Amino acid sequence: MKGRNYLLILLLVAISITALTGCSKSTASGQDIFEKVEEQGYIIMGLDDTFAPMGFRDNDGNLVGFDIDLAREVFKRIGFEVKFQPIDWSMKETELNSGNIDLIWNGYSITEERMKKVNFTEPYLKNRQIIITLADSDINSKADLKDKKVAVQNGSSTLDAIYKEPDIVETFQGGEPVLFDTNHEALMDLEAGRVDAVVSDEVLARYYISQKNPDDYKILDEDFGEEEYGIGVRKSDKELLDLLNSTLDEMRKDGSYEAIYEKWFGESN
Amino acid sequence: MILEVEGLNKSIGGKRILKDISFQMEQGDCLAIIGPSGAGKTTLLRCINNLEKCDSGTIKIDGSYLCKDNNGKSLYASSREMAAIRRKIGLVFQNYNLFPHMSVLENIIEAPIHVLGIPAKEAKDRALELLKLMGLEDKANYYPFQLSGGQKQRVAIARAWALNPKILCLDEPTSALDPELRGEVASIIEGLVEKEMNILIITHDMAFAQRVANKIIFMEDGQIKEAASKEEFFNSYQNSRIKRFVSL
Amino acid sequence: MFTYTLTLLPSMMKGLLTTLGVFFITLILSIPLGIIVSLGRLSKFKLLSKMVEFYIWVMRGTPLMLQIVFIFFGLPIVGITFDRFTAVIIAFVLNYAAYFGEIFRGGIESIDRGQYEAAKVLGLTPYKTFRRIILPQVFKMVIPSVGNEVITLVKDTSLTYIVGIGELLRAGRIASNRDVSLIPLALVGIIYLFLTAIVTGVFNKVEERYSYYE
Repeated sequence: MKGRNYLLILLLVAISITALTGCSKSTASGQDIFEKVEEQGYIIMGLDDTFAPMGFRDNDGNLVGFDIDLAREVFKRIGFEVKFQPIDWSMKETELNSGNIDLIWNGYSITEERMKKVNFTEPYLKNRQIIITLADSDINSKADLKDKKVAVQNGSSTLDAIYKEPDIVETFQGGEPVLFDTNHEALMDLEAGRVDAVVSDEVLARYYISQKNPDDYKILDEDFGEEEYGIGVRKSDKELLDLLNSTLDEMRKDGSYEAIYEKWFGESN
Repeated sequence: MILEVEGLNKSIGGKRILKDISFQMEQGDCLAIIGPSGAGKTTLLRCINNLEKCDSGTIKIDGSYLCKDNNGKSLYASSREMAAIRRKIGLVFQNYNLFPHMSVLENIIEAPIHVLGIPAKEAKDRALELLKLMGLEDKANYYPFQLSGGQKQRVAIARAWALNPKILCLDEPTSALDPELRGEVASIIEGLVEKEMNILIITHDMAFAQRVANKIIFMEDGQIKEAASKEEFFNSYQNSRIKRFVSL
Repeated sequence: MFTYTLTLLPSMMKGLLTTLGVFFITLILSIPLGIIVSLGRLSKFKLLSKMVEFYIWVMRGTPLMLQIVFIFFGLPIVGITFDRFTAVIIAFVLNYAAYFGEIFRGGIESIDRGQYEAAKVLGLTPYKTFRRIILPQVFKMVIPSVGNEVITLVKDTSLTYIVGIGELLRAGRIASNRDVSLIPLALVGIIYLFLTAIVTGVFNKVEERYSYYE
């Protein structure tokens, strides 16, 4: 009897939660972003502040990074004050759609799946899915990955990318990649010699390698395709999307984008 | 009359524990209720101390009704009246129930300060006086776990006494004590009687009852079988069951 | 390496402050609430007791992280909006009050009935009985279990990352990703060990203070 009561209550709770979340999409879009910015005085940009080099903190705790510099410049031109809100990356779309943040801008890869939930700007940075090995490795091409242990970040766009070439994945040792929670863990495992290669975002991997001894690593010429970073905004904020696109365009033309790129990635785009 | 009990009935779980109990205590009495275990003595004591509610009957303590029979149901005093009636009666538990986290002194002054509102200094002086009477003046700052059974009992008596009740009840005061300590308890109770305290004792220890009480009630099977002065009681053995019990 | 560790300290201390904030506020609010929860659970009013039982079941039966997510992201759907820190504190306090409530309930139930009866015949009111007779004895009894729970709380503060609050562990992860090094995380571990050592020490002291009786 007792157990049955609980089950009933549980069922009711589950139903009401489903019902509530079902109508959640309407709440965030109630207010236009321009009214909101005027009201609160700033726009809120969500980012994962653990993501070097796109957005992270220096020793004094100040937010720095490629995306941060870019965003500061973009919003200076638009005339919005911008407030940076650290979020957990796994909650990013929830944060956006519940209105806690107004845009996601932090090495946010454009994928079809994500496009169902958010609107993306035009890509502002290209990012290859590169293959990294230790410098003395005998792996020189995708074909050489046969019977090797290959590490990838779980749930990442990289994982989607390698499965676009399932024939190659099948040749990996065990027929599938070794999954890690973060790219850093995957790269650390490579360093420890427990995996033979890592497939990762180029931006992140190059940053990682540059912080270590670059001579210890090798980046293969072949890659698993390219993806692009975009800025995510709510579906309803169409005007904001246009404004971001035109401002980024303007910055590309007057060379200010190039300057920020060089500051963070050294080589020219 | 300092205590009047009239037509008391009490059932627990469908079993009748007390059957039409009536008795009285006069000023200056030391009444011992004796009888075999399971006779209902402890339940009776708990009813008088309002730890159990009786089903029907009247209990009147020093002129105030703790409960009053109304067409076969006991009506209890309001909680405000209860607090006043409560002060007229004190109880020393069989296992003393001292507060383990408080020193001997703190155990005794707790109620005077927090129930009667007596200033701490005054309550302390009085407690030390009581401890002296109990021969425990050097144990004031001890904790209950550091005391022997007999010492704990004397602290429990002092704790109840500190509230100056009209009646002091003791539940089986000799049962947890070594035989040689029984005399000690007896002389303490005799001392209390001398100080004009009315005493109600529950016991199955005949020799003890014979020594301290002036009135004896014999209970068996939830009923009072015999109530008499000590002399009468021990001289007449009308009831063979009493005879058997007394000779134990 | 030593100088590197020194450069990490300012951001770590910032994170530590947030961690300590969550820790102390949770502790200060959830222990009294836990006492109330235990009393509700032990209440003679069946409805209240059942409701509290249900609350405890939900709080102990679901991950704390889920509760934070639900309070911060879920409640705005029905029009209740809290800022990040408040949402975290509410989730932590509700969760820990349930655990403390069950610990206190165990403590209260283990107090001999004779203690209540002794207080009653002495004329102490139910409130004074609880406050002066029962609670002090319960405290002594529950110190070890509460100590365990408090150490868990030190580490649970890291769960606030889910709403992007920059506590100690997040500060470590930022530095670790930035400098491509495990040293910041090792430092975070050492700071957590320090905190738990302090908590353990405090509880040993409290236990000692309560050891004057058996």
